[in-house]
Amino acid sequence: MSGIARKVIRYLASLVLIIILNFTIPRLMPGDPVKNLIGEDVYVSENVMEELRTELGLDRPLYEQLESFLSDLLHLDLGYSYHLHAPVAEILLDRMGWTLLFVGVSVVFGALLGSLPGALAGWRPEKRTCRITGLAFITLSCTPPYFLALLFLYFFSFRLGLFPSKGFYDSPEIWSILHHLFLPICVMSVFSASRNFLIMRGSVIQEKKQLYALYARAKGLNDTGILFRHVIKNASLPIITLLALDFGFLFSGALFIEIIFSLNGIGTLIYGAIMGKDYPLLQGAFLVIALTALLANMLADLLYALIDPRVRRPV
Amino acid sequence: MSPEAAHNEGSCITESCTGSCPEGQQKDSVFRFKFPEASLKKSRKRDDFLGQLNCGGIFLFAFFFFMALFPSLLAPCNPEERFLPYEAPSRDHLLGTNDIGNDILSELVYGARISMTVGFAASLVSTLIGTIIGLCSGYFRGTLDELLMGFTDVVLIIPKIPLIIVLGAYLRPSIWILVPVLGLLSWESTARVTRSKTLQLREAGYVKSARCMGFSSRHIMGSDILPNIYHVLLPKFMLATASAMISEASLSFLGLSDISMKSWGSMLSFAFFRGGFIQDMWWWYMPPGICITLCVISIALIGFGFETKQEEYAVDGEL
Repeated sequence: MSGIARKVIRYLASLVLIIILNFTIPRLMPGDPVKNLIGEDVYVSENVMEELRTELGLDRPLYEQLESFLSDLLHLDLGYSYHLHAPVAEILLDRMGWTLLFVGVSVVFGALLGSLPGALAGWRPEKRTCRITGLAFITLSCTPPYFLALLFLYFFSFRLGLFPSKGFYDSPEIWSILHHLFLPICVMSVFSASRNFLIMRGSVIQEKKQLYALYARAKGLNDTGILFRHVIKNASLPIITLLALDFGFLFSGALFIEIIFSLNGIGTLIYGAIMGKDYPLLQGAFLVIALTALLANMLADLLYALIDPRVRRPV
Repeated sequence: MSPEAAHNEGSCITESCTGSCPEGQQKDSVFRFKFPEASLKKSRKRDDFLGQLNCGGIFLFAFFFFMALFPSLLAPCNPEERFLPYEAPSRDHLLGTNDIGNDILSELVYGARISMTVGFAASLVSTLIGTIIGLCSGYFRGTLDELLMGFTDVVLIIPKIPLIIVLGAYLRPSIWILVPVLGLLSWESTARVTRSKTLQLREAGYVKSARCMGFSSRHIMGSDILPNIYHVLLPKFMLATASAMISEASLSFLGLSDISMKSWGSMLSFAFFRGGFIQDMWWWYMPPGICITLCVISIALIGFGFETKQEEYAVDGEL
């Protein structure tokens, strides 16, 4: 029970930290906070600046600002993007779906693509093929995701002309979408697979030393049987934690891949916001990504309790 | 970032397991056994392979390090010097020139220093913070441990790169901001590993006797525990460097780095956003990307090498 309480406290603390970060960053950073809250490249006259200052409540004491910030947050009001002339929440909601689809599909593919070779490589680390796949996955994991995306784009789109090089679809049909998303999803899956591979390999190497594996062998089960019936189940537990902890990282990888493939998701949005110094949008994007990562972690904890009976058992 | 994080997660999982069922884990280690089929010859072959990889890593790293230390020896001309823009590779310019006419090979050579400085400095910061937090929470245990580890868990959840992007957009981009920000946001795994190692060591005989003799906690941590977790910190440091270099490259790609100090990441960014990619100038965008990848691999391989050594060391210690 205390374990659950501790978990809940940690999640609450993370939530508070995320909100505090989001509240303090525009106010602490050098420069005029009004500018920071509306974005730098927007032209406004002195009078309007004063007006905005009162409207945003920047002349009031800090705790009142925090109060209004929190109430805005609860009303899902993340501010107004003066660049795109729309509320930040709306823009993000509009773009979020595609990015989530993209990341979700690739994470699932990546988990499958990474953990199976990883399990085999961990089971027989001395085999030549396993060492070669190991080296290949280490190389992949050391490549910046956007460089990988560039290479894929270059070879498959420009050279071979097999896939379109930008956008989500020409016409909103399922085949067109699949055709457009194939390359980005490939890159993303390979990217997340390389991380899963290393984890799975280490995990299998550890698990195969356990007694139950020896017992299975003593009963006369063959090698593949031990690996796929017994070891792999226990060894894949860390993958779930990794997927959750990694979510923020994968998400940022996805941002870069989106930029390369000109997909209209959160990534291109963030890139535009950086270029235009559109701070409210950046803030909102950070908040949304952080909350998604938090949710992913909570989900992983729940899943863990569901899958692993050792977690449920009172210690 | 990948190899490092991958390793952390691996280690933190085992950690959480030991946390929840320490007795079971200890029992298991008594019945340590090996499957018989890995014969001596094979395992020696494997060692050779790992050794080769490690050697390759060190060799590559030495090359890049030399490049970073003495760029003027390797670069054919000054990276600031201007020639005709958009030139294809030729005898004069082995890798051609970029949009403002700088020689790409020279830029590449000079970029090594910046990329590697950022990587090592950031990972130094993160290793320092991680070590201090891990040492304190492992040595003092109790409430402090709970608090510090809780804090570590909380920081672990916050997505790093988006946060750095937001910070980088506000602050005027320069490597002196990038280094502390990258360092301050990536110490969690080091802290966890240090803590678990410290927890083991604080029960060791020499630590106990030092405590009996009345040495201060600071002295014990500094001169008895720290030297013994050195072999854990070294691979962590290398892998953190690798991950910091990838983060740096990613941020530079978004234009969040110092324009006056061109790293490999910003070279790639310029090549992509200023027409090198569209015009099919592979000699502009391929070399920096390949350099980043090779350099990160070399550092990660050295890190993995240290790690395997450390495992051997740990097993020897146990037997």
